[in-house]
Amino acid sequence: MSTATTTPTGGRELSQPPSDGISNLRFSNHSDLLLVSSWDKTLRLYDVGENVLKAEFLHAGPVLDCCFHDDSSGFSASADHTVRRYAFGSGKEDFLGRHDAPVRCVEYSYAAGQVITGSWDKTLKCWDPRGANSSDRALVGTYLQPERVYSLSLVGYRLVVATAGRHVNVYDLRNMSQPEQRRESSLKYQTRSVRCYPNGTGFALSSIEGRVAMEFFDLSEAAQAKKYAFKCHRKSEAGRDIVYPVNAMAFHPIYGTFATGGCDGYVNVWDGNNKKRLYQYSKYPTSIAALSFSRDGLLLAVASSYTYEEGEILHEPDAIFVRNINEVEVKPKPKALPVPPP
Amino acid sequence: MTLASPTHKKVGLLRNRAATGHDPLEATPSFCSAVAAACSCSCSSVCRHITTSPAGNNIQVGQLNMAHVSTDQLLQLETTCGSFLYELQIIWDEVGETDTERDKMLLELEQECLEVYRRKVDQANRYRAQLRQTIADSEAELAAICSAMGEPPVHTKQPTQRVGNLKEELNSITPQLEEMRKRKGERLKQFLEVMEQIRNISVEVMPSEYSPSRHVDESDLSIRKLEELYRQLESLQKEKNDRLKQIMDHLSTLNELCSVLGVAFKETVREIHPTLDDTEASKSISNVTIERLATAIGRLREIKIERMQKLQDLASTMLELWNLMDTPIEEQQLFQNVTCNIAASEEEITESNTLSVDFLSYVEEEVLRLEQLKVSKMKELVLKKKTELEELRRQGHLVVEEAENEPEVAISAIESGAIDASFVLNQIEGQIAEVKEEAFSRKDILERVEKWLAACEEEAWLEEYNRDENRYNAGRGAHLTLKRAEKARALINKIPGMVDTLVAKITQWEKERGIGFTYDGVRLLTMLGEYTIVRQEKEQERKRQRDQKKLQGQLIAEQEALYGSKPSPSKPQSAKKVPRTSTGGSNRRLSFGGAATLQTPKPDYMHSAKSTRTAKKLDDLGSRGLDIAGLPVKKLSYNDAITKHQEVGMPRKPFASLIPVNTIPSAPSMPVIASTLEENQAPNTMLLLTPKNPATAAAVPMHVASTPAPTCLVNDGKLSVVASVEETEYSFEERRLAFYVGGR
Repeated sequence: MSTATTTPTGGRELSQPPSDGISNLRFSNHSDLLLVSSWDKTLRLYDVGENVLKAEFLHAGPVLDCCFHDDSSGFSASADHTVRRYAFGSGKEDFLGRHDAPVRCVEYSYAAGQVITGSWDKTLKCWDPRGANSSDRALVGTYLQPERVYSLSLVGYRLVVATAGRHVNVYDLRNMSQPEQRRESSLKYQTRSVRCYPNGTGFALSSIEGRVAMEFFDLSEAAQAKKYAFKCHRKSEAGRDIVYPVNAMAFHPIYGTFATGGCDGYVNVWDGNNKKRLYQYSKYPTSIAALSFSRDGLLLAVASSYTYEEGEILHEPDAIFVRNINEVEVKPKPKALPVPPP
Repeated sequence: MTLASPTHKKVGLLRNRAATGHDPLEATPSFCSAVAAACSCSCSSVCRHITTSPAGNNIQVGQLNMAHVSTDQLLQLETTCGSFLYELQIIWDEVGETDTERDKMLLELEQECLEVYRRKVDQANRYRAQLRQTIADSEAELAAICSAMGEPPVHTKQPTQRVGNLKEELNSITPQLEEMRKRKGERLKQFLEVMEQIRNISVEVMPSEYSPSRHVDESDLSIRKLEELYRQLESLQKEKNDRLKQIMDHLSTLNELCSVLGVAFKETVREIHPTLDDTEASKSISNVTIERLATAIGRLREIKIERMQKLQDLASTMLELWNLMDTPIEEQQLFQNVTCNIAASEEEITESNTLSVDFLSYVEEEVLRLEQLKVSKMKELVLKKKTELEELRRQGHLVVEEAENEPEVAISAIESGAIDASFVLNQIEGQIAEVKEEAFSRKDILERVEKWLAACEEEAWLEEYNRDENRYNAGRGAHLTLKRAEKARALINKIPGMVDTLVAKITQWEKERGIGFTYDGVRLLTMLGEYTIVRQEKEQERKRQRDQKKLQGQLIAEQEALYGSKPSPSKPQSAKKVPRTSTGGSNRRLSFGGAATLQTPKPDYMHSAKSTRTAKKLDDLGSRGLDIAGLPVKKLSYNDAITKHQEVGMPRKPFASLIPVNTIPSAPSMPVIASTLEENQAPNTMLLLTPKNPATAAAVPMHVASTPAPTCLVNDGKLSVVASVEETEYSFEERRLAFYVGGR
């Protein structure tokens, strides 16, 4: 227990946060710009260093996900079924296309130069951002999924799609016609989030029942033997365990360790290889809705925002905290010698 | 025949007179007739003789007369008379008339002739008198006309210069009279014309006062009078022109006023006099009209001045508000035409509609809007100041009870207009100054209080730490905690001194001010007093414990003396976890709290592990590792059935002792094995993992045992369905969107 010391504060709080639930936030791959999507129908761009809101784009419906294109533009996935691209400098809006249902998640593949969106219309769509605004020219392909898409993650040419019904499909972006692998989640409950390891060997899957599964792409027995799941974001109170959904995961870009955020308001940092928890940050006011490490891994953006797990209730205001990361908190530790029992 | 001689004499005399006095006997009929009469008288007796052959006799007579008188008519006439007398004599002779009868007859004849003469003379005399009268009349009329026309009589009758006879005189005077009459008629016409004009103008100027007769005084038709009338006319015309000009002036002024005031000019004018509106018809120029016009102008001017003052008031208010609120120029520009008139005099405001009712109300509306804006800004300001005040109070740990509702009260009061916002603002500012001052005076003490409180916190921590049996175990960060504990001890020793100084300071402060020093509403001295008491109690307790420990030590020593080896006193089970939960170090509590217990794995625990490998694994996991629970419980549910099922499952005997240790006696000990067994039904991918990690799950008994339901989901009927995968499941976002859409 002494290893996981808490810090007194949650980090710097950004001014002018969204006025409704934060659906996702992401650091740019090139700078300390932070893109935030929210249920208040906006896509916002913050300069974290300056702590200023640099741009704001209003949508017709709640924005459920966002990602950067390059440093000066980004994509948004909205509940109004549309996928859009925004140039931050000029404020120009490009219309990429629409799904038949709200678009839950969006990713941009630098390798393929494509935008991938997953929607509750049970499809995955790939878009070419260069064809924006001309109808159907942006759309590269539509791929049926067994269920509504809940989460997407990319590494290299690999794409992992997590849907309702605990399905997990692994695609190769170069051949989207068929999933490379069709799996069922190793967790018993609804998938909340999927994130690929930065080294491209596997992915982590989190569920609504305070658990995270660590899985590997390699189907060989030896590789599959390494997979495991662990419990987290739980609280024991009066003899009952309270289990919280694990909403967000973020891998550290350098050390490969990862942070999880749950509805208990805690952010934990884990070392997946050594199966250890590295750090637990002090409790945030409300559920952790999203997490993102900056490109150099020196900053961690934490969205403390109620994720509607208990329906429409009163909750703490939505806030974005950016904390400076100490190497100690995220660097894997060599296996300590077991303490001999006294 | 004697008788015939007188008749002859008389006729002869007549004849003589005619022959001597009047040559042209034929031209004077009266004389002829007289002669004829005389003849006939003398002849009547003659005629009686010639009745049988009148014609032959006449020619005979004529031949006779021709023979007597050749050229002379009188002679002829006398002949006729003589012939008549002769004829009469013949007749008488024939008849045999007596002489007396004959004389009588002749006398009768004489008398009749006389009568005729007399009548003719009378007639002529009358004619002459009439003629004279006519002349006199004409002369008189002529004189009258001349005098009326103011002219000297052209020509008056001079008795000396009488010209000719009466008829000539009359003939000379008549044309003069006619001429004068014609001139008089002309003059009269002129008079009438002028007077008609005068009358017309006078009626226009003063219709009610002027009622002159159309009658012209014919006695004075002189040029002088005419000129006089002309002068009068001229003056009247001038007056009329003056009045017209005045009216036009008035009208233009009125028009100007109307346009400025936004009043319909035509209607206003029509009200005053209908003719004024008409451009073609001549305008009424009476005194009344002018007076009315002047009143209307005066009235409008009054209105104008009144409105102008109102507008200027509004403008100045507006300017003030602008200044106050830094209204942007664009917004100000809209009302530039209002504010530019702020210092204008009445005459300077000429732009149309500047003072119309609409415009005024428009400006008024704007001012009203600005006022409201100001009020709302004031409200904001008041709230801001309130917050500042509260913040200051909070910082100074000052609590004012009645401050609770103040902002609301103030706001509602401002809204209702009961209180002026600026007044409230001043009040709050005053309060802020007060609080600042007070905070300053309290600063020193507060700093000390903070220090004391920090020390107390450290004391609490240290206490808790001291109760931790494993505090000296080597672990990451242990040296830091040790250091902290060391520092804390040093600090705690200082507390009594701190408290004393504080008490002294506070007492002094209170004495100076005569009020109690409160800290967040509690009297600080009381707090300190309480603290001191508690501390003393703790001290006593500690002492008591020390004594007890000493006693125990003695007891053990005795036992040792009796039975040998001595049990480790280092693990009184009761000290395990209790302080952790009670001291409220919530931040430090980990979600996988089993770690603490497992730092010293017990032999029996090891026993339960299936293999050494897992035990080893468990070891590093257990110490501070991941809380690996092979796979999740098959059914994470909220109903009793599951809990029962879990209870029915294999009881975990080896851990039985742990449960009370963990002070969670009510926790149903979840059989890990059971859960792992169930995992066999899990998807293939997981099968490899399950047999290898059975014990890892057991590493966290607290968690596995009591995973009831995610409480956050308990209330949600829908999500309990989620447990059965077959039915439709929904993510939080989907439910949120449904609510979001439903809420719209």
